[in-house]
Amino acid sequence: MPDLYVFKAQVGMFDPIALQNQNVCIHYVQNTYYRKVDFLESLPPFQCLNIGALGAGAVSARTNVANLEMPDNEFGLFRWWPLDDVQIRLFHPSGMAKWQLRNLQVAVDPQILVRDPNLVSTEIAVWENNRPAMEAINAHAFALGAARVVAIGYRFHTSEIKEAVTQREKAVINQMRGESRRQGKKDAELMLEAFKEELLPITHVWCSGRGIGD
Amino acid sequence: MLLNTREGTVVSGGVIQLVAGGAAGALVVFTTPVLAGQLIGVKSVKVRKVMLRNNAAGNTTVFLGTGGAAVGIPAILPAFDSMNGLTDSYVVDADFPEVEVFAATISAWAAALAVAGTIDVQLEVVIIG
Repeated sequence: MPDLYVFKAQVGMFDPIALQNQNVCIHYVQNTYYRKVDFLESLPPFQCLNIGALGAGAVSARTNVANLEMPDNEFGLFRWWPLDDVQIRLFHPSGMAKWQLRNLQVAVDPQILVRDPNLVSTEIAVWENNRPAMEAINAHAFALGAARVVAIGYRFHTSEIKEAVTQREKAVINQMRGESRRQGKKDAELMLEAFKEELLPITHVWCSGRGIGD
Repeated sequence: MLLNTREGTVVSGGVIQLVAGGAAGALVVFTTPVLAGQLIGVKSVKVRKVMLRNNAAGNTTVFLGTGGAAVGIPAILPAFDSMNGLTDSYVVDADFPEVEVFAATISAWAAALAVAGTIDVQLEVVIIG
């Protein structure tokens, strides 16, 4: 289905990655959670962080972005850009470098608005209160008054997948029940198998970075 | 009607009359808005236009600086000439460099004023954040 993928690129605000009643597989570090979206809404652009003033050539302390935390059972999908002329290094969660190459951690500066106007490459997701952290780098030979970050995105409320809900899911589960190797399994188990075997569509959402070699 | 540019929202300060010369006569000509009620963030401003009207104040210069009305306000821009009895208008990029200000207020003061002379000052700024 065209809806079920991340990093969408188009003119204007980006599309949500799942709609009502669609399913998501949330990846947080090594954990996976299979959930159904039962509510979503947009989040217009807002200042989510001000790391504060930075001296010439200074690097800020790693600062948690508490304002990107989500309530229980929810995940947020965000794209973002720095408002001030700083380079931002992202960590997600705080101990794990995001956008890590073998020899370099990629940073984002305000030029992202020109080089990647849809901010596709800045897209991140946040599961519950597992918020990211940022460091700001002032490359100037003079002090900066602030290091502000603006985010835009979507909020998704999810519920545990216990049974088939939609007609499509029910049809697939009924078909699976007829297979001998799946005898005796509960609906929730069958749903999980259906996702893993791609009998049912699901959006994979990565809500953290991942260590090199993990 | 506020003008929304790609960079931010353009607003004007009020017309403020300088009635005393020197830094001691500095008056606040623009107050940076705050994000009252929001969770996070500060707003900054960049001056786009400086308008001066010299009311028999003699030839002098006008300074813009941060902070309130007090001696020793740090200037944020080079001095603007104000000619006796004339109106002057200065525009960013053409007449002065673009400077971003994070202070709560911008003040103006004249180097000197002729007796009974005044200078009217008005700023147009773009609000960022």
